[in-house]
This record gives sequence, structure tokens and C-alpha cells, in this order.
Amino acid sequence: MNAFLAIVRVTIKQTLRLRRALGLLLLSGSVAGMYLLFMIATRNSTNTLALQREEAIEVSIGMTIGVFMNIVVPVVTLIIATSVMGDERRDNTMSFLVLRPIRRVVIAGAKVTAAFLEALVLTGIGAAAFGILVGIKIETFSYFVPLLVGTTIATAAYAAIFVPLGYLLKRATLIGLTYVFIWENGIAAAVPALSSLSPWRIGASAIAGLAPPEFQELVGSEFGLGAIDPGAGGAVIKAVVLMAVCSAIMASILRRRDLAT
Amino acid sequence: MTLNPALVADATVEVTSVSKWFGQKVAVSDVTCSFGPGLTGLLGPNGAGKTTLLRMLTGLTLPSQGEVLVKGALPRASVDRYREIGFVPEESALYNTLTAHEYVTYAATLSGLGDPGTAADGALATVELSADADRAIGGFSKGMRQRTKVAAALVHDPEILVLDEPLNGTDPVQRAHLIALLAKLAGEGRTVIVSSHVLQEVERMTDRVIAIVDGKLAAAGDIAAIRRAMSHIPYRVLIECNRPRDFAAALLDNDAVSSVTIDDSRILLETTDLIALGTAVSRQARDLDVRLSKFAPQDESLESVFRYLVGGR
Repeated sequence: MNAFLAIVRVTIKQTLRLRRALGLLLLSGSVAGMYLLFMIATRNSTNTLALQREEAIEVSIGMTIGVFMNIVVPVVTLIIATSVMGDERRDNTMSFLVLRPIRRVVIAGAKVTAAFLEALVLTGIGAAAFGILVGIKIETFSYFVPLLVGTTIATAAYAAIFVPLGYLLKRATLIGLTYVFIWENGIAAAVPALSSLSPWRIGASAIAGLAPPEFQELVGSEFGLGAIDPGAGGAVIKAVVLMAVCSAIMASILRRRDLAT
Repeated sequence: MTLNPALVADATVEVTSVSKWFGQKVAVSDVTCSFGPGLTGLLGPNGAGKTTLLRMLTGLTLPSQGEVLVKGALPRASVDRYREIGFVPEESALYNTLTAHEYVTYAATLSGLGDPGTAADGALATVELSADADRAIGGFSKGMRQRTKVAAALVHDPEILVLDEPLNGTDPVQRAHLIALLAKLAGEGRTVIVSSHVLQEVERMTDRVIAIVDGKLAAAGDIAAIRRAMSHIPYRVLIECNRPRDFAAALLDNDAVSSVTIDDSRILLETTDLIALGTAVSRQARDLDVRLSKFAPQDESLESVFRYLVGGR
């Protein structure tokens, strides 16, 4: 096993604590739970089938963008990603890592990758459960893959941002939440040119690009993508670039600054 | 030409006019010294700046001023430098969810060793931890945790070994074993730098000492010379007995006693001759029929000794 994989493996083992994982899984699955309540509540609807389907799609999009991508994915990823480096700093294990003959960019890249994979397991399970229920309700699973792809991309982008934050700041979770709610919902929403720096919109653009046409009719009103064009390819590239840039910044910090204690 | 006892001829680690400050606090002030093959004790009371100096030797902390060279290059010049350095930090620095074997194997993997598992087995055997290798580190005693850290620092067979208070928390048997191990590693030609705030510990390991107090180099060189410099410094001794006032008054007349302070049933004495004081206390207690419940030398940290050394420079 090489150093990169070893760091990823040990990081996941060290940070994936059962109680926290169950709590985050509950949060991740909460959107599926809400959708289940919606399904139960509309079970005996007297509307026409076409109207019921239209309503189900509208609720699916609203929950995806307004709750799952806007709250669940960033919060789950924030908690995981900030602890990936933050725990090393708190436990004084950073010296163990940095005093080995491995390039700093390998450490940073492995940490971002570990945070992404660990968070993806949790957000992915929530997305899958939600996607399956949407599929059952609208009798087609055409929304399932776009939802999973969008979740994966947003998780990657958030992990890239929150890993360095966890290393640099002692109150990273609080600052991260401020970032999510002020930057994502305030500044990036008000200034369309900044939407390229919003993981929420990057993930949403992938969903918008891949979703079936009947979902896309709602895209303009619900997704609020700003200057971002819908499309999975562009979203993947943006997430990969974000991961690379944040890993490089993290590596530079490890090279130049005193080891944080 | 005067030889500087803080410098060695065959230095592998060179510290030149190094200072480190954190905001307004000066942790290390203008220290110049060097370390070569063999064991050197870095001695100083808690908070003297030993850990900061050791962190600068390894590159974990950058000097605010001055330069540290490890085998002629800055520690951070290349990550390959870390193939030659093993570091045992004072703080925990352990992954509690891993077993000792997983932890040391992880260290070996990160060091790029071809067969990390076998290397880990060897390192754990060296610190006599093979029997507990498959137990989670979270359940280890402090001594076992220290030995796990030493195994991880040794696993890649480094030429330079830096250990920050490695004997903390170890029991006497483990301590004797670790001291023997460090002496053996130093005997193999490695540069071994061990920090401690306990002079007796360092004395058992090596003759060469660098003493640091308040971030400054207080003394360096032969440990016997430093001991001689300490002989004029008063020891403080705590005595507890049933008639402290009578006993203190009697002891005041003794030449071995420099000063006496009474606090309830406790007497705090200062003496420059601990052996003569012991004899006097025993004789006076017998003569006055005083029942002693405690006779305890204070200043085990030797802080006062180091302060004296700094003051005398």
C-alpha cells in the first residue's frame, strides 16, 4: 500500500466514529423521511395522475435543492471534513505525518480524498434513499442517477473547502456553517458571477444537466444557478479543480508554516 | 583557542544563533550548539524551551532568527531529510483506534519501506511491545504509549533520533530498558538527542549535556562539570514532625542549615550539604525525642539549579 492510500485508510478509520456516523446518517436520511411523509400524505389524493406526478416532481426538486443540497450535504461534509485535519491537530498526530518522507501535497490530497469518500458514504446513502422514494412516487428512476451525481460533486467540492478550514481554524465548524449560510445563500446568490465558487450550485448544475426534461422545466425557478450553466461535465471539472487547488493550498501551508498545535 | 563545549567537531545537527518567539513570548533565545554521533541530553526545567528547540531541529517549527542545519541542510529543504530523522514527541501523537502494530506499520509505510509489516514487527520487538502489538493503543498505559512512539520513530532506522521526554510515564523497568536501548542506538553511531527535566535521568544515559533555562543556553558539555557548578546551590528539604518549632530551633544552630521556614507542622530547610543535613536531622531528632514523619528533598525539577546557572553566566 502506498503512502496516499495508507493516509486515506487511517484517516477514515480514525474519524468515522460510530455514534457520529449514525447521527450524520440520520441527518442525511432526513430528506428521504420527509419525502416518505409527503408520499403518505398524498396517498389518497383526488387529483388526476398527471397533477399528482407534477406535484411530486415539484416537491422532489424543492427538497433536493432547498434541503438536501443546501443543508444536508454541506453540514454532513463540513463535520467530516473539518475533523479530518482538525482531529490530527487536536490529537497532536500531525507531527507523526509531516515528519515522514512524503510530499506535503500527498498528505493534503489524501486528506481531502478521505474526507470526500467518508462524507460521500453518508450523503450518498441519504441521496440513494431519497432517489428511490422519488422513483417509486413518479414511477420512473430517471432522477436517481442525476441526484447521486450531483450529490457526489457537491460533496467533493465541500470537502475540498472544509479540510483546510479544519486545519487552520479551531472553530472550523462554526465558521463553515457561516460560510454555508452566508456565502452560499447570501453573497453567491446575490452576485451571479460568484456562483462558480458555490459547491451547492456546482452540484445543482450537474443535477440540472442530467435530470430528465420534465424535471428541467422547474430548473430555472428552483435551482437558482446564477451564472452557472446546467451540465455535469462542467460541474465535475469545477469540483476536481477545487479539490486540486485546495490540496495545493493545504500543502503550501504545511510546507511554509509552523505545524499547528 | 578556546573550545566551546556546546559545539562538537563531527556535528550532524547544527544550531546557530537560533531564537524563536511566539508573539511577545520568547521561547528560545540566541542558542548556538551542535549535536553529533552519540547521546546528548537536552536538560532544562519545564517551560525552558526544550520542546521548541527540538521542534526546530526536526523542522516542525521554523526559527524566528538563526538557522538549524541537519546534515548540512535545512530540515524542511526536502522531505527526503525525514528518512534520516526519527522523532518522539512529548505529547501523545498516537492514533487511539489503531493497534500498536497498525500504527508502527503505518509509520513504516509512510517512510516508504518495502516490507512495512516486518519492519514494524522488528521495531515493536526492540521496545519489547510484541506481546501487546495487536491491542488498540487507546487502552495502553502511558509507558506503553511511550514505547509505541519510540517504535514508530525507530522503524525506518533513522540516523538522527530526537526524543522529547521519552521516559515520562515509564515504570523503572521500562525506563531502564529504554535507557539501555538509547545507549545502544547511540553506540551504533547515531545522533541521539534526548530531552529531560530530570538530571538524574540524563546522568544515567550520557555524559554530554546541553542545559537550557528560560530559552537560553545555560550550560553545556561534561555533566560532571555541571554537577560541580551545582554544588554551591542550596537544596530545599521538607520535614514533617510532631514538634516543628522545637525541632526547627535546634536545627538553626547547625552549620549545614542555611535557612529555616515553619508552616504548621512542616519545616522547610535550605542546605548546601544534603548529607550533613541528613546526619544532623537524624541526631537532633533522637536527642530531642522528635518523631519525624517526612524528610523530602524538594526542587526535583532542578529549576533553581538552572536559574543559578543562567544567573551565573
